[in-house]
Amino acid sequence: MLYDQSLPVRDNVRQSHQAGLDQIASPGTWFTAAERFAIVSEARHASTCPLCVARKHAISPYIVDGGHDSATDLAVDIVEVIHRLVTDSGRLTERWFSDITGRDLSAEMYIEIVGVVATSIVIDSYSVALACELATPSQPIDGDPSKLSNSQVFNGGAWVPMLDSPQEASETGLPTQPNIGRAMGLVPSAIALFFPVMRSHYSLGDIDLGISRDQIELLAARISAHNQCFY
Amino acid sequence: MLLRRSGEKSNREFHLEGITALDDQTAGDGTGPTNSVGVENEQILLEIADAVYTSEPSQLKEARRKGAGLLGEQALVDAIGVAAGFNGITKIANATGIPLDESTESQTIDMREMTQIDDYAEASKSRLWD
Repeated sequence: MLYDQSLPVRDNVRQSHQAGLDQIASPGTWFTAAERFAIVSEARHASTCPLCVARKHAISPYIVDGGHDSATDLAVDIVEVIHRLVTDSGRLTERWFSDITGRDLSAEMYIEIVGVVATSIVIDSYSVALACELATPSQPIDGDPSKLSNSQVFNGGAWVPMLDSPQEASETGLPTQPNIGRAMGLVPSAIALFFPVMRSHYSLGDIDLGISRDQIELLAARISAHNQCFY
Repeated sequence: MLLRRSGEKSNREFHLEGITALDDQTAGDGTGPTNSVGVENEQILLEIADAVYTSEPSQLKEARRKGAGLLGEQALVDAIGVAAGFNGITKIANATGIPLDESTESQTIDMREMTQIDDYAEASKSRLWD
């Protein structure tokens, strides 16, 4: 069971985290379960990487060269993506993205990494903040990634093609499918992994939390500022 | 940007500069923020968000202690949940370079300039760091 029963962790949060961890331990679209497991391990290791620490303190991360201190045998470019996402995502630029996906890493693989890392960050941030042990994904399930590309995407001005889905106005003032929900459209399984976990923590609509909507949005805005997030 | 919308619904005006002023959280005498946003219990909520972002154990311990006292345990855990969620979702936005949704872009021009959120836009990041 995830999380000490003495903590008032809501059941839907427990369930979404367990489901997310189970999905990570299953074959993905472009990576095996073992590789997805390794992506989580690498994400957990990133904050201690000397190169990342040096880059974080540099006026620009792009002026500091060197190799990452890796905890896995993942490829160098994959490690670079994971470490930058964890330690300095606010200073990612389109040029960096183009460089990293212009070699062996496809945009689809990149998106799957983003989905796994973002999900693990939600779960791990929550666990650490509650002083709980980090949850471990169950044993990786054997099997090959499907490697099915999603053609239902379009160029919407992001670095990557976005999910092509109907856009209608909603009562929140945002479209029914905001760009954040379409950003990982190249890999629908990444959307299916991340958003059920996210929705157990936050929703634009009604959600049963012990803090007000103003307080919820204050927290969201502060974390967004820390992450230098324009969106 | 959704905080502003939330304030409009409840007929309240928030001072959003206090959110992006990351180095200016408390007054010198420790009595509270110099740049108050106007949200109930904002000081402890900002401390919780800051602690979740840094993951620094002593900062988290203090935020939990104060948060449980001021907000109650359930609200504290829920606040941590919101912060943790946004600590993940912001990575997706940052990693994909998604543009603002059209309605947000057109309605937040002044607010983005005032709060310096425009500094986080791709054009600004590229100019500063590439």
